[in-house]
Amino acid sequence: MNEASILLFIAIVFSVLVIYWISIAVSLVYRSNRTARLNKIELTFADVVSRYLYNDPANPITLREINTTLKNVGIKPENKNNIQFLIRLMIRTQRTILGSHFYKLQQLYTQIPPYGVSIKKISSWSWYRKARGIREIYEMNQSQYFDEIFKYRNDKNIYVRREAQIALVVFLGWESLRFLPYLKRNMTLWQQIKIVEKLYDLYPKPELKWLHRAYKTEKLFGKKLIMRIIRKYLLHGEIGYIIDNLNHEDYEVRETAIYCIQTFAVPSATMAYIKELYDDIPNATQQGQLLNYIFENSDIDLDFYMKQLYGKNEDLKLSVAEILWNNGHKEKVQEFYYQQYPKSVLNVG
Amino acid sequence: MRKVLVIQEDIVILKILERLVSLNEYECKAIRSLDSLSIEDQQTNFDFIITDILFEGIAPLQFVAQVQEVIPHKNLLVVTNMGQDKIKQEIFALRGVTGFYAVPIDLDEIEAIIQAY
Amino acid sequence: MWDSAEGFFGSYYIYWISVFLFIGYGASLLTLYLSGILLARRSIKRTKQRSIFLRAEDIVSATDIPSVTIIAPAYNEGLTIVENVKSLLSIQYPYYELILVNDGSKDESLQLLIEEFDLEQQDATFITQPIPTASVKHIYRSKKKKYTHLTVIDKNNGGKADAINAGVNFATTELVIFTDVDCIIEQDAILKMVRPYLEEDDKEIIGCGGGIGIANDSVIKNGILTELKLPSRLIPMTQVVEYIRAFLLGRMAWSEINGLMLISGAFGMYPRKRVIEVGGFNPKTVGEDLELCIRLRKHMEEQNIPYKVVYLPETLCWTEGPSDHKILIMQRDRWARGLWETISLHRDLLFNRKYRQMGLLYYPYWLLFEFGAPIVEFLGVICIIAFGIFGWINWPFAILLFFAAYLLGCVFSTIAIFMYVKSFDHYTKPKQIVELLLAAYLEPFYYHPILLFGQIKGYYKKLFDITSGWGNMTRKGFKVSKSKESKA
Repeated sequence: MNEASILLFIAIVFSVLVIYWISIAVSLVYRSNRTARLNKIELTFADVVSRYLYNDPANPITLREINTTLKNVGIKPENKNNIQFLIRLMIRTQRTILGSHFYKLQQLYTQIPPYGVSIKKISSWSWYRKARGIREIYEMNQSQYFDEIFKYRNDKNIYVRREAQIALVVFLGWESLRFLPYLKRNMTLWQQIKIVEKLYDLYPKPELKWLHRAYKTEKLFGKKLIMRIIRKYLLHGEIGYIIDNLNHEDYEVRETAIYCIQTFAVPSATMAYIKELYDDIPNATQQGQLLNYIFENSDIDLDFYMKQLYGKNEDLKLSVAEILWNNGHKEKVQEFYYQQYPKSVLNVG
Repeated sequence: MRKVLVIQEDIVILKILERLVSLNEYECKAIRSLDSLSIEDQQTNFDFIITDILFEGIAPLQFVAQVQEVIPHKNLLVVTNMGQDKIKQEIFALRGVTGFYAVPIDLDEIEAIIQAY
Repeated sequence: MWDSAEGFFGSYYIYWISVFLFIGYGASLLTLYLSGILLARRSIKRTKQRSIFLRAEDIVSATDIPSVTIIAPAYNEGLTIVENVKSLLSIQYPYYELILVNDGSKDESLQLLIEEFDLEQQDATFITQPIPTASVKHIYRSKKKKYTHLTVIDKNNGGKADAINAGVNFATTELVIFTDVDCIIEQDAILKMVRPYLEEDDKEIIGCGGGIGIANDSVIKNGILTELKLPSRLIPMTQVVEYIRAFLLGRMAWSEINGLMLISGAFGMYPRKRVIEVGGFNPKTVGEDLELCIRLRKHMEEQNIPYKVVYLPETLCWTEGPSDHKILIMQRDRWARGLWETISLHRDLLFNRKYRQMGLLYYPYWLLFEFGAPIVEFLGVICIIAFGIFGWINWPFAILLFFAAYLLGCVFSTIAIFMYVKSFDHYTKPKQIVELLLAAYLEPFYYHPILLFGQIKGYYKKLFDITSGWGNMTRKGFKVSKSKESKA
């Protein structure tokens, strides 16, 4: 290494620096123009949609006018980024509306650009474009492409298969649950949430025969999904499924079961069964959660609480002591602590 | 003329609600945040306020409490994306809220309410 | 062999060994930084792509999402506590609780909170304490429905870590976020932070951090950052660049290969269950954030449970950085001691195959480049002086080499600023960018020597067992703009 080579190195590094200076400048200008453009598109779209949904007989808006207005703000096939932004706005708007206006909006979407953009994305090699295409298709309810999407339900990319599975629910409704036992890969919490929400928004009337078919699933994510559906639809007749999973060997399945059961009040015979299961739960925190549920949803069962008070876990004992103390059994708590610490002064109350 | 104040940060929902209200023969003031409210507006007794609860710089519950304190009104309807049952209960616990609508909303329901008034 | 300092530094062998060691160290660092840029770029791109499928507006309307508690410890923060709590309360998340832990403040903090939020005492007899802490005196909750998410724990002083542990004990949510009470958190921060937990697949997320920004001289209204300004003084302005570089390049790169060993104490999210399993923060170290993250990772490795520690590129938390060199030195002195303590506490990790990459790669990196860098720099300065005195240095060549190294540093900072400008709209004015670039280019001459001094001071204290605590980091305070409501 000599001085000449260092000078050459300095020149190269300096050139890189200059390139980044230019990139920063370009980026600043682009961002500023882009933000202005997007705001314009958003405002125009808002105006067009509101006028279309609530058409003023005195000043009606026509489809031709809508298409021209959108074109004037840059919604043209060659402006792919603008088109993409418009799709986002369309999906966002559609997801905020229910009832007759939802159908009216769907009618509008079939008559304005973009046309056939989403289906082209599905054949892309990039997972990102593919998943995005699937999402757009189900959000815009383009059921004619269902067969194209169906084959991706077990795709190795998490986003592609997630969107495909959600599409399945959107297009098939409750019937889609029959595929649950046959799904091969894991389902994330978000995927479960989204499936439950789509089902609830689009198919509010439960079809239990498909739910019962899904009970066959041995997949942990499947069990969690079913319990969330039972909870969302408040299916009192199906809470046996949740109860059966309260003492499941998997931590997360138990967690979901405890979370879901909290939505329901149960008859005393069922509560007695839940109390039996309580001892089988291998995690003290989860036992604590179930204890709260039992306390809030049943009368004080002194035998049950006394058994827990003399149990092993210190935190649980404290929770049980609190319940007994606040519910007319102070003497039992005092007796317990006197036995524990006969020579010390009781430090409660 | 009867008056409605619509406060929604989402411009699309804002415009739709503004249009819904105007076509039902109400005078409508549509704003995206409380900062756009003039002193005159703060003295107007609105027949309805239709508002979101998610705004910059303020907690949802505080926002509702602030609207109730600052703007005279007869009915307060909340239309929001954060529409979980828990939030609904907390909002109603503040008292004085006429209705709570979680997105997605059926616009016909809102129209029926203001028409019935 | 060397009977005097002159003989030692004058030795031909020592000279060349030193030269090769320093060049080797610098070259390794350069390679790591270059790889870091590539990894960070990939990580940011992937995070952006994933966020398309899970937007904040989707999460805000969802049910079944995890509940979150923000735990903020406070000690003698009376001047700003009310404003700070209002700021933390304005966070938008449907299942959100705020626990403020008053860690035995000697000022009027608690009284101010009681008055402003209409707090009333609750029964604290049966509080469970899975993590032992200094005793809790009282629990307070607001009588006002609009502050229903707020809980104040009043406890005896036990330090920051102890206060957070008390908050963890009391929290009942699945996830907990640790922050400093004077941090300003973006309103949609939790909506973004829960994203990795919602998308958790085969690996459990045991920690998630978000970018932290410097907001000195910015305008705050009702506890919300309404106008982000660049600090007017050079030291905090340089910290803006330092934080952008550290969070956008450093943390994102490590996140990409699941090698993160640190989630900043100013803003980090963890599953409560796991924090309790490892016994919470260690109150005996001043670097408790780093120590907790390492201990959590070790715990998961020992349990053989697949896990991930992730970072988000967005700046979700704003803080006030040290405004002058004295406070900066104090801060870096503390960080250096924290690093020393943690590195020493977990020395069993070094080249320990049981902990896989953590033992073979990440810990050695921290030891060599995070812990070792100030020492190497300090030795470098000594060698330059010594070799200079003995005339071993070819000055024209050395100056050229120094200039090349300096330019490389400038390129790294410029890339970080470019990536930030491209991804986020916090700094959009050309004047701000020029100022940031200038601050970055002046950094090696002004800011960096102060940092080095602070770090070496911290090591010196540890080496000679000089007791020193957290120290009082005096803050100037943000520019507070009163709202219409509060004026009235």
